Amino acid sequence: MNRCFVIVMSSIILLALSSTLVFGAAGEEIYQVKQGFKLVPAIIMVALLCIYIGVGFLSKVSNTSGYWVAGQGVGKIGNGAAIASDWMSAASFMGVAGLLYLKGWFGLGYIIGWTGGYVLLLCLIAAQIRRFGKYTIPEFLGDRYNSHAVRLIAASVTVIIAITYSTAQFKGIGLICGWIFGMDYTSSVFFAAGVVCTYMLISGMSGVTRNQQIQYVVLISAFLIPLWVLLRKAGGTGILPQLEYGNIISNLMEGQTATGQLDPEATKSLREAYLPWGRGDFYHFIALVFTLMVGTAGLPHIMIRFYTVKNEDVARRSVLWGLFFIGLLYWSSPVYAAMGQFWNPAGGKAVADVIILSAPERAGLGEAFIGYLASGALAAGLSTVAGLLIAGASAIAHDWYATVYRPGCPDRHALLVGRVFTAILCGVVVLFALNPPALIAQIVAMAFAIAGNTIFPAVVLGIWYSRSNKYGALAGMIFGLGMTLLAMFGWMAKIPMFGDQGILPATSSALIVCPLAFLINILVSNAMDARLDDESAERGDNILRKLHNLPDHIEENGNQKKNAFSH
Amino acid sequence: MAKKPRVSVNFFAPATDGMKAETSVAKTIMVLWFLLSYGIPTFIWIAGLSDPNGLGESFLTDARFLGFPLHYWLLAQGYTLGYLILCKLYCVLWDFKVTPLRKS
Repeated sequence: MNRCFVIVMSSIILLALSSTLVFGAAGEEIYQVKQGFKLVPAIIMVALLCIYIGVGFLSKVSNTSGYWVAGQGVGKIGNGAAIASDWMSAASFMGVAGLLYLKGWFGLGYIIGWTGGYVLLLCLIAAQIRRFGKYTIPEFLGDRYNSHAVRLIAASVTVIIAITYSTAQFKGIGLICGWIFGMDYTSSVFFAAGVVCTYMLISGMSGVTRNQQIQYVVLISAFLIPLWVLLRKAGGTGILPQLEYGNIISNLMEGQTATGQLDPEATKSLREAYLPWGRGDFYHFIALVFTLMVGTAGLPHIMIRFYTVKNEDVARRSVLWGLFFIGLLYWSSPVYAAMGQFWNPAGGKAVADVIILSAPERAGLGEAFIGYLASGALAAGLSTVAGLLIAGASAIAHDWYATVYRPGCPDRHALLVGRVFTAILCGVVVLFALNPPALIAQIVAMAFAIAGNTIFPAVVLGIWYSRSNKYGALAGMIFGLGMTLLAMFGWMAKIPMFGDQGILPATSSALIVCPLAFLINILVSNAMDARLDDESAERGDNILRKLHNLPDHIEENGNQKKNAFSH
Repeated sequence: MAKKPRVSVNFFAPATDGMKAETSVAKTIMVLWFLLSYGIPTFIWIAGLSDPNGLGESFLTDARFLGFPLHYWLLAQGYTLGYLILCKLYCVLWDFKVTPLRKS
């Protein structure tokens, strides 16, 4: 087992290194915005970071339970804000606006996918996973299927998701640092890594949770306030920007921008972007939406949020609040994209990921506003990276080290391993981020494809299908992971089939792969049912009793729970 | 030790009252979720089939709502509202169907 894990980790690192060699210059986006050091934004950013690290200091933790899930006492609005803060990453902040800028109407698929997934999560997973009440998703899968192999694959998947997702965040954080300090992209990625590591290693998750509520307030205000000014400059009344940009979109379809009427060629292209299938067809739209939805419901670092609440009532209601807080942001991202089209209709791919900086710059918004916006985006990236690296490091420390490799090791050893791996993961992510393979939102979509194809089927069947067993789970997860990674490398190698117009795009592979992973899990489970050992059957059943409040559940420490519906 | 009977959990064939209540709430919401998520894009697709350029232009793209092209508003804002309502409905249905069972 140990060797297997080392092989997985070293292949990830090798992969990161090779990708650095394959891709050429990155971060060209930085040259699309104003160059040079900017004092006011720098002061705002440093002030914000001081607050974050300050709060981290005040809430230092020393036992592992605090490090992983911050105790179990966060309320519904607080947990909703933490879900939203975890969620609202550089992808939502910069990436969605960038994709909408580039792809017009088609990009709205990202918004649907990333909100609709919460309904799935709520219906199939949230309350049940709260009843389970342990630390991590690999732990849930490993216990439910009574298999260390399942646990290790789930842990590896968690790590791969954390790396992929963080890569996108680092690209965003790097672009922001580059804009503020006038650094080139490479140095700003390293600078960002320093900030992330310091913050993570000092605070642990207790600090992270408390910060995430502060961060939510900071970043939603940073995202919304500049919009008022921006829309006023575009000719609106600036009362409710989210309801006022409709006319601007309608005018854009006719080619009217801040620079005047566009020429017929440019008008046609802009109109196409806002028509349904101008930037992608029906199949790709549905595939994208489906992938992002199952991915949302299968993301370990979002699911882990449900362990941190008092009870399952709070777990359910915090999904509602989380979605509300996320909705505020997603009502606003398209406004930035529209503003980008309005002021800079011909920017293209090079400007997409920095459109939230470029549009206000062109509109003459002033550095203080843009600085606040940029610091918000930075906060979004930081809080997400924090959550992700915790989930990744806890997968290694908790599920591999403390459970498989050294069962019964003292807490402080597991904590140390967690911290060391946080730093190692950070290093791997930096390597990837130096040469990001796609736009921010696209890289994130790939992480969603992994979650949707591996974790989601295993968790849903683990909860809702008692015949599903370790053989089925292993077969399904290996298939899902293999297909998603194949699609990702196909995308990076520019093979048409896996590109964004292909049959199996890396960003949208779940429409085909996820149902197959379900099917394989069910078929293999049934085929192997007779060969399942009694212990696995009994342990799996015992967890199902707990998940569904069935009688005769036996706690692992021996306490029998009699009443079906008691807590 | 005598072998215990296996637990039977199946989303589509719930065995206990508690599970029946939970899955019925989940099924109701998921049907609505499916119709919302995939029905509207399919509707936009079917409506736009007559566009000779294949871009999906139709009465949905010509109509205006709050100044937005309707097909744009539906996705950019309508969906978020729809999903919020579904989540709220889930919590309400749960309180109505599942919570009483637990208290008894």
